[in-house]
Amino acid sequence: MSAFSLTRLSIVARKEIVDLLRDRKSIFLALFGVAISGPLVVCLLYFVAQSIQGRIEKITAPIVNAQFAPDLVRYLERRGIKVEADPPDYEARVKNGELDVALVVEPNFAEALASGRQATITLVTLSSRERSAPIAGRLTGEVRGYATMIGNERMILRGIAPAVARPVQLEELDLSSVEQRSARFLQMMSFYALFAGLMGAIAAALDVTAGERERQTMEPLLTTPVAVAELALGKWLAVALVNLLAVTASMLGFLIALKLVPLGKLGLPFNFGAREFTGFMAVLIPFAFMVPGVLLAFGAAGKTAKEAQSSLTLAVSLVGLLPLISWLRQTKAPWWDVWVPVNGQFAVLSKVLRAEAILPLEWAAMWAVPALICLVALIAFARRLGDEKMLAGR
Amino acid sequence: MIEIEGLCKRFTVRERTSAFALKASTRIVTAVDNVSFNAKDGEVTGLLGPNGAGKTTTLRMLSTLLSPDAGSARIDGADLVSERAKVRQRLGVLGDAKGLYWRLTARENINYFGRLQGLSLPDSERRTRVLIDELGLHDLADRPTQGYSQGERMKVAIARALVHNPQTVLLDEPTNGLDIMSTRSMRELIRGLKAQGKCVLFSSHIMQEVAALCDRIVIINKGRAVFSGTPQEVLATTGLDSLEDAFVKLIGSEEGLFA
Ligand SMILES: Nc1ncnc2c1ncn2[C@@H]1O[C@H](COP(=O)(O)OP(=O)(O)OP(=O)(O)O)[C@@H](O)[C@H]1O
Ligand SMILES: [Mg+2]
Repeated sequence: MSAFSLTRLSIVARKEIVDLLRDRKSIFLALFGVAISGPLVVCLLYFVAQSIQGRIEKITAPIVNAQFAPDLVRYLERRGIKVEADPPDYEARVKNGELDVALVVEPNFAEALASGRQATITLVTLSSRERSAPIAGRLTGEVRGYATMIGNERMILRGIAPAVARPVQLEELDLSSVEQRSARFLQMMSFYALFAGLMGAIAAALDVTAGERERQTMEPLLTTPVAVAELALGKWLAVALVNLLAVTASMLGFLIALKLVPLGKLGLPFNFGAREFTGFMAVLIPFAFMVPGVLLAFGAAGKTAKEAQSSLTLAVSLVGLLPLISWLRQTKAPWWDVWVPVNGQFAVLSKVLRAEAILPLEWAAMWAVPALICLVALIAFARRLGDEKMLAGR
Repeated sequence: MIEIEGLCKRFTVRERTSAFALKASTRIVTAVDNVSFNAKDGEVTGLLGPNGAGKTTTLRMLSTLLSPDAGSARIDGADLVSERAKVRQRLGVLGDAKGLYWRLTARENINYFGRLQGLSLPDSERRTRVLIDELGLHDLADRPTQGYSQGERMKVAIARALVHNPQTVLLDEPTNGLDIMSTRSMRELIRGLKAQGKCVLFSSHIMQEVAALCDRIVIINKGRAVFSGTPQEVLATTGLDSLEDAFVKLIGSEEGLFA
């Protein structure tokens, strides 16, 4: 085989880039898709968060038999909760989602309370319905608060310090509100950033592998002095460049969206400024080079365009499945977490957003793992390009 | 100059006799079986054979796309296997696959191959211009090749094969799908290459076409070269006066022929 030539490599790369960028429809549609999906997710999350907060603040408590517990009604109203007395047909309406919850006061509530027996209030809700959970939580808290208040008064009347009856006070520091919301948000953002680095490469990788077979241009190409290594690297560079464009577009989309949407108002402690942008790019650049390598190696595996396409689809789903490792895991991340491709990127991106320090070893993983995978993939890709079985077998 | 000696190529093919058969049996297909012939500079050599004879496979081996299972071949003295790079530089190939890059213009398609063949950018652009002139592609040259007619695509493919002015030219069925006018201009082009002292080897399954152009004919059938000689010798050997009858006779029975 002819000696490796950088000139020919750059000729191949330049031609592929021109060729790819001429395919306005599919390339630009893909770029546009990834650029817009980030901002869209940010806005969506914003509105969801805002509506949850709004609903918790402006809450109505439907109370069945409210007339038996006038003190509770007054207590709730003082706490800013509107009371809807005796909602008709409440069980069915809670079930079908018209009401989030209903409180049921037993008929002998006042009598039981007065005589010192235990008085019962039932909270009717549907725990499987997620959007009702914060409201149920708020009402539970309020009713407990009311009960505690009465208990404390009674003990004080009997000359007992309320602390005696409660030797251990459990303070609840609820992380689920702001922090959990921000964790969800982190996951989403990291996921979409990686998603851009995957989606940006698919159309292009398909075009330079399956497309070349479909158009029957591989054979003429291989009769020229070009070496398969030059072809492989040239194609890889071209696809990687398109992918890098997609990643940059997506990041700029986030940058703009987070400037426009006032997340701070919702109490989300984020900032997506220059520091985060740089951190993201430092993780995403090696990733954006690795993905095309893998996709090309798979895309070149088929003798026909169709085979190449299915093989490439397989690669895409494999890459897409990897972040599930950390998404589904319940325990703390083990040390090897960052060394698993895609999954590691996901973890480090989340750390960048949380403004945590990233260890030198983690940075090493972000660059060494993609480099190694890319090397293996490119060798496989070059082999397949030069394989005569792939060539003549039509 | 092409010198071929005992070239062989076998393919392993999978066969399924029923749609539900779990195991496909494999069979060896001999596509090219001990083919030897020479093609000289300044001559047009025709590789004639019916469908499936092994013409494309022979040309693919000569253009270094497939490696031969046995035998050897030299292009201008350079060995097919050990001196691949040299062989590729000497060769211009219009193969069985004649695809173009749809989104690139004719000029860009030709120029890309010129650059890959090692021409400098100005040289490559100059050669591209010359070929566009010669082939009458002016009006299309700067349009993407997507909407080209079959004849127009063929012209671009041939220009691409000749961009580096190769000494030896391989053409696999260069008139396939062309109308009478385009076929004639293709023949003119082949004669022009011959006049420049190039070695042209082209394949066809049409006897008349080969007879009209070739100084020497190699007839292959079922992977074997069954005849090699001038068009006159074809008639003389068979004792027939129609070339088509002679062709049919030659591939129909192999007895008494020098392979
Ligand atoms: N890649 C391959 N795998 C299996 N068999 C093949 C392969 N390529 C060619 N063959 C077989 O080898 C034989 C010769 O094929 P080839 O394409 O060389 O014929 P040809 O002379 O060019 O025919 P045509 O005039 O139809 O183009 C055929 O029987 C074909 O089925
Ligand atoms: Mg053929």
